[in-house]
Amino acid sequence: MQEVDVQDAWIFINKIFPILNSSYPTVYTKEEFYKAAKIIKELNLTCFVQDMVILKIETSLRKSIIPKFWSHFKSPENIKPFYKFLKAIDSLYEDYSKLLEVINALDMLRNINNFDKPIMGEMNIKNSLKLMLKSTMFSQHHTSYDKVISYFYEEALLLEDMDSFSSKQCPICSLLDCSNCETLFLKANGKLIEMSLLGPLTDQALTDLIYYYINMHIQKTCKDNFDTSYIESFEKWLDRVIITWLKKIYCHSEVSDRSIADFDKKLRNYLYNTYTKIRINQLFNIIIEYPDSLAALEDIKICLPKTDLKQYLIKKLQQAVETRLLHLGVSTSDVLTAYVAAIRSLRFLDPSGLLLEVITQPIHQYLRSREDTVRCVVSSLTEEGPNDLAEELVRGETVLCDENTIQDSDENWETWTPESSDHQPSKIPATKRSSDIISMLVNVYGSKELFVNEYRTLLADRLLCQYSCDTEKEIRYLELLKLRFGDSQLHYCEVMLKDIVDSKRINQHIKQDPNYKNQEIPISTMIVSAQFWPPFKEEKLELHPKLLTQFESFTKGFETLKGSRTLCWKNHLGIVDLEIELSSRTLSLSVSPVHATIMMHFQDSNRWTLNDLSKTMQVPPTVLRRKIGFWQSHGLLVENEQDIFLLKEETSEDNIVQDNIIIEDYESESAMASAQDQRDEELQTFWSYIVGMLMNLDTLSLERIHQMLKMFALQGSSVEYNIHELKIFLDKKVREHQLIHSNGLYKLPK
Amino acid sequence: MKLTIKNWTGVATWKWVANDDNCGICRMAFDGCCPDCKLPGDDCPLVWGQCSHCFHMHCIVKWLQSQPVNQQCPMCRQEWKFNNK
Ligand SMILES: [Zn+2]
Ligand SMILES: [Zn+2]
Ligand SMILES: [Zn+2]
Repeated sequence: MQEVDVQDAWIFINKIFPILNSSYPTVYTKEEFYKAAKIIKELNLTCFVQDMVILKIETSLRKSIIPKFWSHFKSPENIKPFYKFLKAIDSLYEDYSKLLEVINALDMLRNINNFDKPIMGEMNIKNSLKLMLKSTMFSQHHTSYDKVISYFYEEALLLEDMDSFSSKQCPICSLLDCSNCETLFLKANGKLIEMSLLGPLTDQALTDLIYYYINMHIQKTCKDNFDTSYIESFEKWLDRVIITWLKKIYCHSEVSDRSIADFDKKLRNYLYNTYTKIRINQLFNIIIEYPDSLAALEDIKICLPKTDLKQYLIKKLQQAVETRLLHLGVSTSDVLTAYVAAIRSLRFLDPSGLLLEVITQPIHQYLRSREDTVRCVVSSLTEEGPNDLAEELVRGETVLCDENTIQDSDENWETWTPESSDHQPSKIPATKRSSDIISMLVNVYGSKELFVNEYRTLLADRLLCQYSCDTEKEIRYLELLKLRFGDSQLHYCEVMLKDIVDSKRINQHIKQDPNYKNQEIPISTMIVSAQFWPPFKEEKLELHPKLLTQFESFTKGFETLKGSRTLCWKNHLGIVDLEIELSSRTLSLSVSPVHATIMMHFQDSNRWTLNDLSKTMQVPPTVLRRKIGFWQSHGLLVENEQDIFLLKEETSEDNIVQDNIIIEDYESESAMASAQDQRDEELQTFWSYIVGMLMNLDTLSLERIHQMLKMFALQGSSVEYNIHELKIFLDKKVREHQLIHSNGLYKLPK
Repeated sequence: MKLTIKNWTGVATWKWVANDDNCGICRMAFDGCCPDCKLPGDDCPLVWGQCSHCFHMHCIVKWLQSQPVNQQCPMCRQEWKFNNK
């Protein structure tokens, strides 16, 4: 074997691996290469040469190629990120190609010399190069560079999604109908794929970008629009714009299919999550707009099983209900409207009713604490016009007044899932929840009686205010209520309505009687059966003599018509339609009897002292002053001196109030004693017991008083008081200084 | 000023002119009705006996039917006779 000088060998080695001498390109013939390989083998230097070459490659990557690559990212601001990244890739690719030549040479050497020591654990040393490239790249990576990558793709995405912008101008080079930029973009991605950098270098930026893009697209598409379903169009959009684009980016890669599938899954999840979150954040408004918002609800229903947002939904909706509904700024009727909408839409979202219970529980509690809830429910039940509750009533299901229906669920709503939208009818849960809205409202109180009583009071007020009211309609309505609440509960109301119908007939009859003197004041009378009406507020009022004779004449007529029966007039109740002619204008008003009586007296005499009028009318001065105020506000009476009122004949312009019918003062007050008044009156009968207890025991807690009352005073009585009502009563006594409350104990004042 | 009252709608409760508020038989208010009735007034009238006691008509009729021998006023035990005044 020929001896080879080491010096010569080095020259040969340098010839085929000029990188060892820090130079490119490689210029050698095939013969030269084989010769060099042979020498290397003879000297047993293969391993040494490989190590040297790899070391050189590493050094070159670390010291020059990669720093040069990243330096493009730091180039001046005025260069578009698109071009920065493009240049960086081009220069990197150039360097990579040279290194690849070296690696190819090394590979050839390994083949010839049968040397197979792996490089960086890789037998395929092309992969070793890629590994070195990648690891060096990331060792010098800085997070700020990601922004450039992001921008690069964002500009390209805008180019892809140009349809959405209805502009023919290329977002990158600003030229019309540009096709060059896309070619450049695709080429750059091709190079990244060749260097196996497309995933590692770009995935994060690409994912962030697409997430952002999806978010924007959803936000601007479905903003405050609840009447369209978007989920399908979003899915299509994702396929048409994003996935198509990703396929273009990855097109030359063998890993393309897997990467695309990964992306597809990830992006689809993100899409559902984002869209569902946006809808959940709008859910309160969506509920309020039910049923117009059905499409949005449908989308949530479809998306929820694909996401993990049930708890998020519950939390967000509870917060929204808390901040937007359950506070003093919202009127009770609005709370009720929202409540009904919530029942309907949540029932749609989750037919099992679990979600409904979780969300409406606080609304129940809140409604229970509001004084006017029953009144609002009843009045909206009976209101004219389209109305959710009235609709429910017409559906006519009977009230299942089962107090347990609300609390009986032992299922855990933590595990709540919306039912799949394609469920079979047979899969409806066995525990059918009380889903009837009116029942739910009644259940809030647990008492039909309370509802019916409130209805009776409202009906009484309505009948007294508008004698001419549509009794037929009221009777029809009463029939509906009877279907729901039962005959016996509503029997009183039936009699009240009959009273009104009868009154009309009796009035006609009496007025036809020749003995009945028709005087200057035409009257009609509502003759009511006191036993069946709610208790009237008792107020004293002495009417004008003209009217008294008229009433007497009517009473006589009645006594003649109905043997052994007579009438007791409620002077302060009723309505008076009157007309006041002034020199400049005419007023037409409907007022209460006390208001009318005041003016009748002022017609007799245009000057009255408060005291005189108070005595004449039997109305306490303070009350009378308030009533006179009504006429003062109309510019008809004036307080000339303290407590002296004059009729003001000519009204100056600035005092003129509108001439239309004003019944404000009249309407605002109920003629019925309020439910609270009635309860208080009942409780008052126990006051002596309470005083007795406190005299003996000095101090007592609320609970103790309640307990003792239950034991002694309430036993055998049909009256039931809860501790809350008792507290209100006792607190009233404290305000009236009949009781002292301190440290949670009640005692009598000394 | 000229005040014209175009219509005065007043409110009055009706009641039986009787010595008592409640029926001595059923204990219900006269102005209400007897336990068998739903509507007061014409539909459940009062009747007076010559002893001057009065009852719901339905109540006294039922009472008299349950007294096959002596038709007495349940209040004063005098013989019951309707007073058609
Ligand atoms: Zn009776
Ligand atoms: Zn009867
Ligand atoms: Zn008698």
